Amino acid sequence: MKKFLGYTGLVMLLVPVQTTLLPHVAIWDIKPDLGLVVAALVGVLAGELHGLIVGLAIGWILNLYSAGDLWLNLVTTGGAGLFAGLLARQVAEITPTILAVGLLFLSLAGGLVAVLNMKSATMADTWWMIQFVVVPQAFFDTAVGAGLLWFLEQRFAVPRFGMLDRYS
Amino acid sequence: MWMVNVRSPHGARRLALGMFALLLAALLLFPGQSQGLLDYLDGPVGQLVRLPLEAVSSLDQGISAMWQQYVSLQHVADENRRLKQEMDWLRGEINQLREAGSATQRLTSLLQFKEQALPAMVAAQVIGRDSSNRYRSVILNKGESDGIQKDMGVIIPAGVVGRVVKTTGATAVVLLLTDPNNAIAGLIQRTRDEGIVEGVPQGRAKLKYIPMLSALKEGDRVVTSGLVGGFPRGLAIGTITAIDREEGALFQTAELAPEVDLNRVEEVLVIQAPQSQSADQTARPDPGTKR
Repeated sequence: MKKFLGYTGLVMLLVPVQTTLLPHVAIWDIKPDLGLVVAALVGVLAGELHGLIVGLAIGWILNLYSAGDLWLNLVTTGGAGLFAGLLARQVAEITPTILAVGLLFLSLAGGLVAVLNMKSATMADTWWMIQFVVVPQAFFDTAVGAGLLWFLEQRFAVPRFGMLDRYS
Repeated sequence: MWMVNVRSPHGARRLALGMFALLLAALLLFPGQSQGLLDYLDGPVGQLVRLPLEAVSSLDQGISAMWQQYVSLQHVADENRRLKQEMDWLRGEINQLREAGSATQRLTSLLQFKEQALPAMVAAQVIGRDSSNRYRSVILNKGESDGIQKDMGVIIPAGVVGRVVKTTGATAVVLLLTDPNNAIAGLIQRTRDEGIVEGVPQGRAKLKYIPMLSALKEGDRVVTSGLVGGFPRGLAIGTITAIDREEGALFQTAELAPEVDLNRVEEVLVIQAPQSQSADQTARPDPGTKR
């Protein structure tokens, strides 16, 4: 119950942070996708099932405040939580660097799926979106995710996010 | 009976993968039904999320206002001078327009034209931007409960802002004019040629499908044609900055600089009339409705 309330609070807080506060820190109109970062972090720290469920909830609620398609948000954010959990099982220790690599891959994959799905875009528009939206956002997500993990390590005095810490 | 042990890593993995596969299948095979199912929940969840969203938004606006009023005053003197010049120029234009207006009035009564009624509008505040980087949209603090529906036009006095694409009970998402997924019927004010205004990913707009014989030129103003979409005729969209005439093409395309600075929109008006004007013509407007 405590975990459920925690996740609910987290998801609800994400909406104003993502839609109201993050546009202020946007660089060249690109802001990080905090929903994807949080879903991936939950997947890494609490397992793929939690990652998937929290990712789906984030994708659905953030979609209420986006002009995008619902299925795309569900698949990219839910998928990020799920695959982050699955990938985290393949490494012995989770460090900010490892998380950064994983997040870069997940953000690029999600962004490419979304951009290639845009119906009205020409080839030139698609290429422009990849160059100036998908790739910069992936690097932004990576930096924010690694920073958040580093902060969690410092704040909660968890020396290593090893297998036993995560799943015991 | 076989059951999944979610505590074991393998059980959780199987369950998660199964759920994801099921979700993908449902979304791809039954897109309408699965979307409809979630639409039922949108209303209550939207109301719930409205509280933190409005709290953070009002805090954000308070800080922005304080910054603009007390800290960011560097360019005020320059701006003041420029605005005074602009005001003098506009005064002259108003005088000319008054003359033109009275002539139009005389001709209108002479020809017995039907006067174009002003549409009903709801004022709303921008409380956020699109949650993703792939769309250019803003979030309004009013939604279905205030009479806002999908496809309604959104403007400010300077010109067109965009179109409502999504609503919850308490909020609405407006796809901006500069989004590539937006299309608004436009009209070149000088030549009276029609076209479709679409956004481009780089953040500007273009007017497509202009007849090849049109004598448009840079600096021409484009307004709404009022034929389709949620806008009445004559609202400013933008100014033509470049023209693309390809040899052998059937139409011309023109680049537009939007009339409204869409990055700085704070309050907007949502046009309710084009969808419900005839039905609600005699109805009393809401307290929040401007005319």
